[in-house]
Amino acid sequence: MSRFIQLHLLTAYPPANLNRDDQGSPKTAKMGGYDRLRVSSQCLKRTWRTSDLFQTAMSDHLGARTKLLGIDVYNQFIAGEVKEKDAREWTKAIAGVFGALKKPEKDKPLAELEIEQLVHVSPAEQQAIEVLTAKLIEEQRAPEKDELNLLRLNEQAVDIALFGRMLASSPAFNIEAACQVAHAISVHPVVIEDDYFTAIDDLNKGLEDMGAAHIGETRFAAGLFYAYICINRELLIKNLGGNTQLAARAIRALTEAAVKVAPEGKQNSFASRAYASYVLAEKGDQQPRSLSVAYLKPINHRDNEDFINDAIKALIQQKESFDAVYDDCADRRYELNVSARQGTMAGLLDFVS
Amino acid sequence: MDILLFRLYGPMASWGEIAVGESRHTANYPSKSAVLGLIGAALGIERDDEVIQSRLQQGYALAVEVLSAGQLLRDYHTAQVPDSVGKFTYRTRRDELVLGKERIRLGGTILSSREYRSDALALVAVRALADAPFSLGQIREKLLRPVFHLYLGRKSCPLAAPLHPQLLIDQASFLAAFKAYRHQSLLPTGQSSDGQPSERDCYWLGISGERHYFWEGAPEDFSDSLDLTRRQTRIRHDQPLSRKRWQFVPRQEHYFYQAGE
Repeated sequence: MSRFIQLHLLTAYPPANLNRDDQGSPKTAKMGGYDRLRVSSQCLKRTWRTSDLFQTAMSDHLGARTKLLGIDVYNQFIAGEVKEKDAREWTKAIAGVFGALKKPEKDKPLAELEIEQLVHVSPAEQQAIEVLTAKLIEEQRAPEKDELNLLRLNEQAVDIALFGRMLASSPAFNIEAACQVAHAISVHPVVIEDDYFTAIDDLNKGLEDMGAAHIGETRFAAGLFYAYICINRELLIKNLGGNTQLAARAIRALTEAAVKVAPEGKQNSFASRAYASYVLAEKGDQQPRSLSVAYLKPINHRDNEDFINDAIKALIQQKESFDAVYDDCADRRYELNVSARQGTMAGLLDFVS
Repeated sequence: MDILLFRLYGPMASWGEIAVGESRHTANYPSKSAVLGLIGAALGIERDDEVIQSRLQQGYALAVEVLSAGQLLRDYHTAQVPDSVGKFTYRTRRDELVLGKERIRLGGTILSSREYRSDALALVAVRALADAPFSLGQIREKLLRPVFHLYLGRKSCPLAAPLHPQLLIDQASFLAAFKAYRHQSLLPTGQSSDGQPSERDCYWLGISGERHYFWEGAPEDFSDSLDLTRRQTRIRHDQPLSRKRWQFVPRQEHYFYQAGE
């Protein structure tokens, strides 16, 4: 069994401002003496962790998006001859695990059972709610704290096992993250461009006050990014209490999110969403290493006509050089190469899990 | 003395200095706490295992040769936390940021300025002291097949090259060991290595002939032939004392600068 799963991704973004610094400018880093575009590790993790795709990929099947989870449970309690007052309290306890509940309303007695926002409930969670509801009806008692905690345990466990504890959550879950994510760095030098823009007032006829109603400036750049992720599979399994199946699902979900989900920054202005053009996945116990050094000498417009293919070539050459000098740096590998139509998403997910 | 040497390279590294708040500074060469942390991670020592941690902290003397100190990179970092709401508990980061979106206040956003070094390359030399809990040979094996993630000061700074650890027996000094280390090129060169940093690496990482050396122990541990009166002796607060209490104690370190030819 391999301890480490390494993912190397090349993703091309059109003009965008995915991750900003305190000046509102896209983040950069110097590599090989040239300025490169950068998306921070924190930004990438936040993007994947909060994405719909990660959540649905975790639950295998599409779940439901609902605010009305509580109403359903309440009706079952009433049908199960639970006293109205109890039914209301027990329902609030169960629905309250999934989201904050609405405030009570005078003329709408069931409003307080609704969740403030749409929440995603996976099929497994729906089933767990049904089982718990039936049990409570049979035993005519309120849910216990542990039973409530179980409802979302998997989702919570995976989030923390992969990425480590949250800022606000209880220190009981102080766990070493099983996933390491590097800052994504462009394979080529970059110059940040300024877009000076104006907005005119459509109702201003220009009789007195000429000129723009608003002026502004947006900085942006396009980039082909190299991103690197290293998952410690054994640590992940340990963090999940030995549940290898759940660990495999978590790795699949993370991989899919990393390939498909773009950072949210300025997406409304740039619509710069992109899927990875190339993915190299590696498995082995050997000391993991990123292949960023392939781009220490930048891919640039003077030497390279085809950025993506030249970047892929550089990555493969770097991998082979490392293998030749230090012995194989991984036991098994899988490639997804979009321009060569090589590999599939399903094949990649099966390989990593 | 026997010395274990290995290379630290990544596009970004962060060697934390004393930091109490918003500014998270980096030094321009690896700190002892970071190197011990890397060795501990390779060996699979848990963070909260105080006993073995303290033996690791006391068991080794380090020296560092900086080939390239790289350039300073400052990263503006924000982290958002929503206010709590009634009895509801946020169970995932997604809960916090999606369900709690309306409740993220300006004051609930934590700002920090994190420093990194980019394009830095250093060699680390480790010498086992009398009560070292692991032999240098054991450490070397684990560096090749580590138990936990290895990184350059921060988890977001992975290694971008094999550590290429070499155990050199019976070295006269740290400097002798640094000179005896067989370098392998990071960038492909198409030629076999002559043991020196390759011209290509030197060009792209801005490595000149000058070297910065840092070591602990006696001045003459570094070299028995160089005139070390030009050395600087200073105090650095990077000797870990307790991981649990996040405590470090000062240690004495020598610094020697060698200009290139």
